[in-house]
Amino acid sequence: MKKILTYGLIAGIILSVISYGGLFLAIMFLPSLFVDYNNPLFNSNGSRDLMFYAHAFIISFALSWFWERFKGQFHGHFIWRGLEFGFVYAMIALLPVMWISFSAMDITVQMVLSWLLYGFVQAFAAGVLFAKLNP
Amino acid sequence: MFTPKKYFVIGAYCLFAMAFSPNSQLQKWVLVHGSSLKIDGSTNVNHFTCEISNYSEPDTLTVHKNSNHKDQSLPFKGVLTLDVMNFNCHNAMMTKDLRKTLKEKEFPRFHIRFSSISSLPQLKAAQEAITGVVEIELAGVIKQFNVNYQLSLDAHNTIHLVGKRAVTFSDFNLQPPRKLGGMIQAKDKLDVEFHLLMKEIN
Repeated sequence: MKKILTYGLIAGIILSVISYGGLFLAIMFLPSLFVDYNNPLFNSNGSRDLMFYAHAFIISFALSWFWERFKGQFHGHFIWRGLEFGFVYAMIALLPVMWISFSAMDITVQMVLSWLLYGFVQAFAAGVLFAKLNP
Repeated sequence: MFTPKKYFVIGAYCLFAMAFSPNSQLQKWVLVHGSSLKIDGSTNVNHFTCEISNYSEPDTLTVHKNSNHKDQSLPFKGVLTLDVMNFNCHNAMMTKDLRKTLKEKEFPRFHIRFSSISSLPQLKAAQEAITGVVEIELAGVIKQFNVNYQLSLDAHNTIHLVGKRAVTFSDFNLQPPRKLGGMIQAKDKLDVEFHLLMKEIN
């Protein structure tokens, strides 16, 4: 349990930098990709900002637990293990959620694909970190 | 000896004199089809223009020349009542977002009340710049603004009144929309422009 929390916390800090830093740069250099977020589906009064920025830690603790439980299933070089870990997460957790989100909500294909990629990159980065720190 | 008949004659004369006094002049303008209101704003990812086009309520604006007015401005009266749901931002999501920001469910209509203008319009083809005061009631908040007007008369004797003014969301206690933890943020400033088409009636 201590290992899960410790590596989850470390991954949370690193994912915060990667996720929000990446998002900040993407908005700065590719603003046209974010025009559709001016949409009432997205919270606009700032009341959930803390929850938004806590996301990197939520996913990190969840992935840390998942890694601890199934790390024996991922073999090879630590980069490859991270890649496979990210792919498994994307297939099992992200794809079905993205599917149902797109079918039910007024969002664009571009948004859904970017979320899929974003989640995959987060899980890949966490997987590489776990494979290095907690092989 | 003043009889009731004399009182009546004197009273009628006074009314007549007031109505046709060189210091008193009333202009009435009725809105015709094609008037519009436009809002220009921006976020850190895009610029947006939202408009209400083809406003066609037959509202009447009146200018009353009255040289006794203390600050030399002339009473300019009339009210435009507009539906928030008629805003079109040319992007379905942005349109919905603007309506939500303007609290459409609580305040489905907003009002522009004309208050005064700086001088009596000459109504000629060349554009005439005057200033005026309007009161805008939006999302339950009433705020007074000075407005720059351009007035002109076209070949069909249609009066074009274009009013421009920068306002802010915060003027009306509205919060500029922010998304993704504030990474996408609308700027507070909005440029409002209304273009009214009117015919003079008397």
